Amino acid sequence: MYSALHSLPLDGHVDFQGSLDGTNLPGDACLVLTTDPKPRLRWTAELHERFIDAVTQLGGPDKATPKTIMRTMGVKGLTLYHLKSHLQKYRLGRQSCKESTESSKDVGIAASVAESQDTGSSASTSSRIAAQDLNDGYQVTEALRVQMEVQRRLHEQLEVQRRLQLRIEAQGKYLQSILEKACKALNDQAVATAGLEAAREELSELAIKVSNECQGMAPIDTIRMPSLSELAAALESKSASSNVPARIGDCSTESCLTSIGSPVSPMGMSPQAAAAMKKRSRSVFGNGDSLPLDGTTMRHEVEWMMNNMA
Amino acid sequence: MRELDFHEDHGSNNNNSGHTNKTTLSSLAQFASADSHLQSQSLGSAAAGDHHQIFGSALPGIDPTLFVHHSEYGDVFLNNHDFSSLDLPHSFHNNLNSPNSAAVGGFDSVQDLIRAADCFDSNQFHLAHAILERLNQKLPSPAAAGGGGAFFFKEALQSLLTVSTRPPAYLSSWSEIVETIRAYRAFSGISPIPMFAHFTANQALLDALDGPSSPFIHVVDFDIGLGCQYSSFMRELAERGSVCKFGAPILRVTAVVTEEYAIETKLIRESLTQFAHELKLRFQIEFVLLRTFEALSFKSIRFVDGEKTAVLLSPAIFRRLSLTGGPTAFVSDLRRVGPSVVVFVDWEGWGDSSGTASFRRNFVNSLEFYSIMFESLEGGGAAAIGGGDWARKIEMLLMRPRILAAVEGCGRGAAPPWKEVFAGAGMWPIGWSQFADFQAETLLGKVQARGFYVAKRQAELVLCWHERPLIATSAWRC
Repeated sequence: MYSALHSLPLDGHVDFQGSLDGTNLPGDACLVLTTDPKPRLRWTAELHERFIDAVTQLGGPDKATPKTIMRTMGVKGLTLYHLKSHLQKYRLGRQSCKESTESSKDVGIAASVAESQDTGSSASTSSRIAAQDLNDGYQVTEALRVQMEVQRRLHEQLEVQRRLQLRIEAQGKYLQSILEKACKALNDQAVATAGLEAAREELSELAIKVSNECQGMAPIDTIRMPSLSELAAALESKSASSNVPARIGDCSTESCLTSIGSPVSPMGMSPQAAAAMKKRSRSVFGNGDSLPLDGTTMRHEVEWMMNNMA
Repeated sequence: MRELDFHEDHGSNNNNSGHTNKTTLSSLAQFASADSHLQSQSLGSAAAGDHHQIFGSALPGIDPTLFVHHSEYGDVFLNNHDFSSLDLPHSFHNNLNSPNSAAVGGFDSVQDLIRAADCFDSNQFHLAHAILERLNQKLPSPAAAGGGGAFFFKEALQSLLTVSTRPPAYLSSWSEIVETIRAYRAFSGISPIPMFAHFTANQALLDALDGPSSPFIHVVDFDIGLGCQYSSFMRELAERGSVCKFGAPILRVTAVVTEEYAIETKLIRESLTQFAHELKLRFQIEFVLLRTFEALSFKSIRFVDGEKTAVLLSPAIFRRLSLTGGPTAFVSDLRRVGPSVVVFVDWEGWGDSSGTASFRRNFVNSLEFYSIMFESLEGGGAAAIGGGDWARKIEMLLMRPRILAAVEGCGRGAAPPWKEVFAGAGMWPIGWSQFADFQAETLLGKVQARGFYVAKRQAELVLCWHERPLIATSAWRC
């Protein structure tokens, strides 16, 4: 509608601006219309000011509607169509100001509007018209530019959203898979532990028997040796299947046995336990104290005994 | 995007102490240290009324010897008569105002902790032990009053006192691992913190490593966690590979881990390899023991000609190095490796400082940081989802080890600010692409938690909770 403003002729206009100089408009403001083939409304500075007043009265350009503005402004001859397009341009112009850090555009437009207002009384009519035309021209190109900027940003933000969504999904999927693996390992270990319990039972019985034998200083290596190593082998194979890795670079039986025991006592061989183990182990072959049937110490017994027999 | 300039905030409050860069809890600490003597004078009364009394009338009744002991803080304390102007974290305000004696006990606990930490500086270990013993009654469990992980800090201090030799390394059990993964998943859901850290770091990597010059990418990671970051990184690489005619890049990861991480290591290797396989990405991961790295520095890591290298760092490795060697040597070695980008993810609220000579100061900094972290967990996310339980679990499983490590590192002594060390080695910070900015903001929009926002601080992207920085990521180039 307003695209041809640059080329509006500057003379031959019939306008009423002569009566509209200076400060406040009286209540019965008149519209300025051009006289070219299509009568267009010219948004003069005063009219624009009234427009802004009305808009602010109504709570800002986003809240104001053309109908309400029309009512508030109370300018005869102003139609909804005039207001719709002007409001749209105004909104776009405002938006571009929000984007940029400096509000220079806003200031620019306001300044040019104010300027044309201030100079209204003294400057010649034609230059005011020119300023107004240019101003409207700026507004339009500004609006177009702003629209393009907005579109570009929208596009980029959509891209960001899309990629972000992919990434979040990827992480979620990964966490799910790692959790499943860990749960599976836990279950496997539980199954293995059940088997281990049975093995431990046997071991504890053996240990008692061994200690009883030892009190009579009977040679150990003839008694039950095969069974012990068999059980140790069974333990090792169980540990392998339960997915519990030994420490890095250390695959001895000790560490396998220690790590198997981790659900029972995550501390592994804490200093106290180690000391206790030594104490108890010595007692097996020494005074023959009764051994507590504790899983941890049983394991240590077996280690100690196996190390000695190996 | 807000601009943050933390230095300007401190001028008013901390005109004396050149060390601190934080105005919040250190002010509290200064105030608390002075107040602790008042407390000892009126041991029996734990009612809130007395607290208000003490806070309101600052000067009368203060033992003058107080200022001899805490001379560096005394002046500042005198200036701060109006305690309402002290920028105390919310939890402490709540504790102050509530008539609940348990909450008041929480505040007491913090003071006691700080006093105990002080004893570390003055080598009064027996006194520290006594204070912590007494604290056991006030903080019997993690859920006890005090919040901000006071219980964990107490635990950490106690472990420093009671164990003179390093405890033998133990491997995690599968049930622990399962619980930890669950907690981590909840953490990702409740709080934007993990995703922010991962995605911004990834974006820095992607922006720097982009380009057809070499399809081989090698990432050296000093803080791999669960390896979650690489899932989204690989997804992104696969995406780019599908549009680029060269195909997807080949990714190699070297992670430096401690011995205790043996079981997690295996798990991560399996999971990431499977993930890469599903994406049809060529992937390889190696693990290097931290001990080996400490001995051999970057020679312990295999580098291949023609690769583009990236290094991911966090305060943990710096802290570890300060205890043994020095960050300066590390950074100059790093420089010699010639990575395309070095990304520093500051999980610990280090900001500009790497450490001061005072155990107590480092301790208070950590205390402050984790109190914010806990607040953000409990206040922001958990409340929104109604998962107060999860907050507890996250604190227990994820925060606690970090707190223990942080407290252990409090004795690390004065270290030059890491940024200075970087700059000294000839590295300079790269800014952030607009994509990274947008991504961070969009991420916050997606997350249900409230109270978070993203800000820029010099060259860093910072995730903040109500004005307080939580995670700061920065990217550097040699």
